[in-house]
Amino acid sequence: MFAFANFMNTPKETTMNESHDDLIDNPTPRCPVALVLDTSGSMSGQPIEQLNAGIELFIDEVKRDDLARWSVDLAVYTAGGLADCIQSFIGVEQIVGFSPLDASGGTPLGQATRMALDDLEARKKSYRDAGVPYYQPWLVLISDGAPDYGWQDAAQRASALSAQRKLVSLPIGVQGADLSVLSQFSSKPAVALDGLKFRELFQWLSASMARVSASTSSDASVHLPSVDSWGSV
Amino acid sequence: MSLTVRSATGESVQLSDTPFAQGGEAAVHAVPRFPGVVVKLYHPQVLQKRADTLRAKIDAMSSDPKLVSLKQHPGLAWPRFSVFDERGQWRGYAMRKAAGVRMNVLAHAMAYREQFPNLDRPAVVAYLLSLLGTLQELHTAGVMVGDYNLANFLCDPNSDTVTLIDCDSWQVNAAGKTFRCPVAAPDMLAPELQGKELGKVNRTLESEYFSLAILLFKALMLGRHPYDVVGGAGPVENIRKGYFPYGQGGGGIPKGPWFNIWSHLPFKLKEQLIGTFKEGAPNASARTSIPEWIDFLKLYQRELGKGWHDTQIKPANPKTKEYRGTQSISQPIAA
Ligand SMILES: Nc1ncnc2c1ncn2[C@@H]1O[C@H](COP(=O)(O)OP(=O)(O)OP(=O)(O)O)[C@@H](O)[C@H]1O
Repeated sequence: MFAFANFMNTPKETTMNESHDDLIDNPTPRCPVALVLDTSGSMSGQPIEQLNAGIELFIDEVKRDDLARWSVDLAVYTAGGLADCIQSFIGVEQIVGFSPLDASGGTPLGQATRMALDDLEARKKSYRDAGVPYYQPWLVLISDGAPDYGWQDAAQRASALSAQRKLVSLPIGVQGADLSVLSQFSSKPAVALDGLKFRELFQWLSASMARVSASTSSDASVHLPSVDSWGSV
Repeated sequence: MSLTVRSATGESVQLSDTPFAQGGEAAVHAVPRFPGVVVKLYHPQVLQKRADTLRAKIDAMSSDPKLVSLKQHPGLAWPRFSVFDERGQWRGYAMRKAAGVRMNVLAHAMAYREQFPNLDRPAVVAYLLSLLGTLQELHTAGVMVGDYNLANFLCDPNSDTVTLIDCDSWQVNAAGKTFRCPVAAPDMLAPELQGKELGKVNRTLESEYFSLAILLFKALMLGRHPYDVVGGAGPVENIRKGYFPYGQGGGGIPKGPWFNIWSHLPFKLKEQLIGTFKEGAPNASARTSIPEWIDFLKLYQRELGKGWHDTQIKPANPKTKEYRGTQSISQPIAA
């Protein structure tokens, strides 16, 4: 499960240092995005391929936006067999490339979410320590099933933060997902992905990031594009 | 599908099929027959809610004789005339096409390099003086920008001019009415306006001066916000508290090149920034006015010309030599 090993061209240890310097040289208000991805066995084949393509597209599109590229910080967590952080928070601008994820094992989504929320807290502290403003962080949780075990506390944390408007928590169900369980990870209901429209989903996500990072203030509420292109109703 | 709009006098013109830019409220289309003109068409949802208010404001702005000089102003995309669709419904307005790069790209620690590879301090000061000149004319005409969104100030990379767009969001007195500015980013807003329902309060010269000082600081400091402070509160909270970390008795300046850059600014300019951000936060009358900013920036410009200040946008080290202006201090005003 280290499929993102060359997500960037530097090993994990130096990643942290780089990110730290980045907060010093680049005071752009940040929008941290944590992707929590179900990479369990059931995602193998088409779904994981489309998900990989979607992530690659997301990174490319954010990099192409002259402001979002300096503003979006990305972290990636997988729940496939083990829960793992395969990329800790880093400016999208600094991501060099990524190798595709593969899918196997069970679905420890609760554990992966817990890791993401802990890292988000730590990241927010780094922002405050560096005097860098930040927008509401995003948690994007994608699954085609339901978490294995021990997920309730993580779901409660995410949903409480989202109710307090301290987190944009976005659970997304791929076909076969238990939407009612995924919905417990947010104060808003989970959205069902229309077929395998990962491409459209990540295009929407990058367009949303462009809106957020172009809004002049880290305090302003932002009008996001409609999810019609990928959400099924 | 081609888009045709008409003026009130019935003259019709064809627009580009797809808008060349979109905002939250409107789409902006080119006019193939008149390359110097663009047409802003409000989104249908916006028209549904506010067509009458918007139309009244645009008509007043484009017809009030006191404001004709703004219509012709080269630094403004002032509304020229209303446009209607083929069914006679009001849709938006025509204005001059503005060129340039958004000021939030110029005032940005990273993004400026691509669009302004040779950016230096004289260039930044020249843009700011262009902007200040235009703002002064607006204020003379009783127009308050209100929404100091840097994305609406376009800097021409091939000259030193700044053009202001999105004029329809400003506070304007026209045709005997006051049209308010209902929007603003909280981190650009004076403390007395924080948390207020902006559609119901008047913007004043003093509230303008506060927002303007933030803009000036950001442009001079590569996008750093004056109220960015390490260790906790965000810019909006610091605005409310009037906590500005630079100058004596401060503390909390973020690590990085910021203190270096600050140290290279002329003492007199720093004094005005400190005055506006500290004393001027609670006391609106202590804020530096536009005529004063113009004087201080012209002084900076002259002294840059004489080689008294580093012209680099990001000087590598803090200023060591004594400042050769009227004030002599061995250290830049310390944190
Ligand atoms: N006069 C102009 N000349 C050239 N481009 C323009 C002009 N006016 C607007 N634009 C482009 O169109 C975009 C949207 O315009 P504008 O900001 O006026 O729309 P809006 O919907 O009112 O904005 P907002 O999203 O800030 O509410 C601008 O960002 C700019 O790129």
